[in-house]
Amino acid sequence: MEQHNRFWRVVLLAAPLGVFGIFVLWPLFSSFYYSLTDWNGFDPNYSFVGFDNFAKIASDRLFLQAAINTAIWMVAAIVLPTTLGLALALLLDSRVLGARVFKSIFYLPICLSAVIVGQIWIWIYQADWGLLNTIITEVTGEKYKYAWLAKPDTALWSVIVAWSWQQTGLAMVIYLAGLTAIPGDLLEVCEIEGATPWQRFRRVVLPLLAPSTVVVVALSVINSLKGFDILYIMTGGGPFNSSDTLAMHMYNESFKKYLMGYGAAISVVLFLIAMAIIGLYFRQLRKVDRIYG
Amino acid sequence: MKQISRRGVLLGSLAVPMLGMGRMAWAQAGEVTISHYFTGELGLKAFNEQVAKFTEATGIAMKESPVGHEDFKTDILVRAAGNSLPDVFSYWAGARVQFIVDSNALHPIDEMWAANGLDAVIAKPVADSATLYNGKRYLVPFNYHYAGMFYNVKVLADAGMTAPPATWDEFLALCETLKGKGVAPIALGSKNRWPAQFWFDYLLLRTAGPDYRAKLMAGEAKYSDPEVAATLAMWKDLFDKGCFVENANADDWTDASDKVARGEAAMTLMGTWITGYWNGNGLVPGQDYDFFEFPKVKDGVPNAVVGPVDGLVIAGNAANMEGAEKFLTFMVSDSGVQAAWANAQGALSANVNVDPASYNVVMQKAAATVAAAEAFAFNYDLATPPPVAEVGLSMFTRFIDDPSQAEAILTQVAADAEAAFKT
Repeated sequence: MEQHNRFWRVVLLAAPLGVFGIFVLWPLFSSFYYSLTDWNGFDPNYSFVGFDNFAKIASDRLFLQAAINTAIWMVAAIVLPTTLGLALALLLDSRVLGARVFKSIFYLPICLSAVIVGQIWIWIYQADWGLLNTIITEVTGEKYKYAWLAKPDTALWSVIVAWSWQQTGLAMVIYLAGLTAIPGDLLEVCEIEGATPWQRFRRVVLPLLAPSTVVVVALSVINSLKGFDILYIMTGGGPFNSSDTLAMHMYNESFKKYLMGYGAAISVVLFLIAMAIIGLYFRQLRKVDRIYG
Repeated sequence: MKQISRRGVLLGSLAVPMLGMGRMAWAQAGEVTISHYFTGELGLKAFNEQVAKFTEATGIAMKESPVGHEDFKTDILVRAAGNSLPDVFSYWAGARVQFIVDSNALHPIDEMWAANGLDAVIAKPVADSATLYNGKRYLVPFNYHYAGMFYNVKVLADAGMTAPPATWDEFLALCETLKGKGVAPIALGSKNRWPAQFWFDYLLLRTAGPDYRAKLMAGEAKYSDPEVAATLAMWKDLFDKGCFVENANADDWTDASDKVARGEAAMTLMGTWITGYWNGNGLVPGQDYDFFEFPKVKDGVPNAVVGPVDGLVIAGNAANMEGAEKFLTFMVSDSGVQAAWANAQGALSANVNVDPASYNVVMQKAAATVAAAEAFAFNYDLATPPPVAEVGLSMFTRFIDDPSQAEAILTQVAADAEAAFKT
C-alpha cells in the first residue's frame, strides 16, 4: 500500500516538477552559465570570459544608477502601498457609509494588468492634455504643467505612484482581514481604561496586525521585484536611463545592446539580491510565527 | 471504458512539459515562416495583401507572426537566442544586419540573386549600400524611406513661404516668421528616442560631410571631435531660439505628426512613412502636406540624404530555404507588389521597374530627391553598431531635455561610445 502511494506521489509530482525544472530551474542555471560568456544572442559561437562581466558591473555607471533606482523603487513600493492600505483599511473598517462600495473600488486596480494600469497613468500624466496637467492648469495656470514621464527628476516617482495606486488595494484587503481578527471587546476594554484612539492603534491594533503586515510587506517585496512591466510600459527606463531599475537595465543590455552575457551577469546579481531579501523575509516570518503561532 | 495505465499517465505527465522545448513556431510542410514589423500604422493589411499574391502565384503558404515595430527589435533577438528564428524576417539594412551577419545567423543569397537577375531589378545605389555585407549579399530591399522636412502646406503658406528654404539662414528666418505667427516651427516626438536621430544625422552630414560621419559611425572618429561639438552647438541654437515644441521627449512620432497635421506646429523632420500615416488619416498629399530637403548648411559639403532600408532576410537555419528564397525573389521582383506596397506604406521602391508615376506627388518628389542626392546614408541607429546606437540615442534625449549640458553630455558619450565599440 505504502509502495502504491509512493508511486502515485511520484506520478503526480512529475508534471509540476517537470514544468518547474524547464521554466524556472533551466533558465536560472542557463543565466549563470551565460553570465560567464560573451554571447550576443545571435551567434552560436561564443567564448568564456570568466568573471569579466561581473568585473564590468563594478564600473558600469548605468548599473549604479539602476541599483539606486531599484532601492528607491523597493522602499517606496513597500512603504506607500502598506501605509495607504492600512489607512484605508482602518477607515473602511469603521462604519463609514458605503464602505462596501469603497472597498470594491479600492480593490479594483489590483484586478487590472500592469499594462492597463500603465496606460491609464500614461494618459493621466500626458504632458499636453493629461488629467493631471489639466487639473493643474485649471488651478494654477500653465505655470506648473510638467512632462511627468519625460523628465528625469519625476519619471521614476510617477511610475511609483501608479504602482502604489494598484498595489494599495491588495494591502487594504489583507489588513481588513487582519482587523476582523482583533476582538472587539479588547478594544472596548482599552477605551474604558482611558486609552486614546492613537494609543489604541499604536499599542493594540498595530501589534496585533503584525502577521498581516508581514504578509503585506512580503507581497510588496515580491511584487516590486517583479515590477518590470509597468515601468517598461510607462517609461521604458527613460528618459535617458533615469528610471532604469536593475531589471530594466538587464533588459536594455541584453536586448537593445545585444550583450546577452553581460545581461545574464546582471540577472545573476539581481537574483542574489532577491535571494538575500527573501532570506531576510523568512527569518522575520519565523520570528512572527514564534510570537503568534 | 479503457483504463489509463500508470505508465501512460507518467509518460503523459513528462511529455506535456517537454512540448515546451520544441520550436515555437510549428510550420506545416511546405510553409514558409515569417516574422515582420509591418503592423498598425506601418501597414499590416497591405503586407498581408502582398503575401496573398505570393501564395496565389506560387502555392506556397506563409505562416506569419507580425510584431510591433519597437517590440520587434527584442522579439527577433529572443527568437535567435532560442534558436527559433523564422525562415524569413524583416530587418533594417545597415549595422543591424551587419551584426547578425557577423554572428553567422543569416543565409547568403548570392546564388538566388544571380539566378533571378536581381542586378537588373534593384537600383544599384540601394543594392550596393544595403545588400552587401562582408562581400556577400544577405538582404533584399523590400522598400526604403527618405527623411525630409514634412510640413503643413497651409501653415507655411500663411507664413509666406513661396519657396522652400535652401540655406540655413533662410531656414532660421522661416522659423522666426512662424514663431511670430504663434506657431511652433518644429514638432519633434523623441519619446522613443529614434525620431531625434535625424536632426543629429543631417546637421552632422551638412557640416562635417558623409565621409566624416561614416568614420564616426564606424568608431574611426570620436564623439569628442570638434565636428560633433559643432553639430550639437547648431542643434542647441535651434532650441535656444525656441524653434522646437516644448517637451519633445514626452511625445512619440505620431504625436509630433498630429501636431503638424493640426497646424499646432509647422514641420517635422521625419521619414516618408509619415505620408502613409497622414494619408491614412485623410490628409491629401501635396495639398495638405508636402516636404522640403534639409537645407544646405555649408558650401562644399556633398548633399547626402538619410533614410532606412527595410529588408527581408533569410535565417541561416531556415527550415524551408527554397520557399524562403522564392518569397524574397517574388516580393522584390514583382513590380505590382512593389508598387502597391510602397504606396500603401508611404515608402519608395528599390525596384527599377516600378513606375514613379504610381507614387503620389509627394513621394514622386521624394524619389527624385533621393535620385539627385550625392550620397545615401542610413540613419544613426542603423549606421552604427547596436551597442553604440544605444549610447547615442540616449544622448539625443538627454540633450533635448537640457541642451545647455551639451559639453558634459558629449564628454560622457565619448567615453561610453568608445567602450561600446570595444564590446
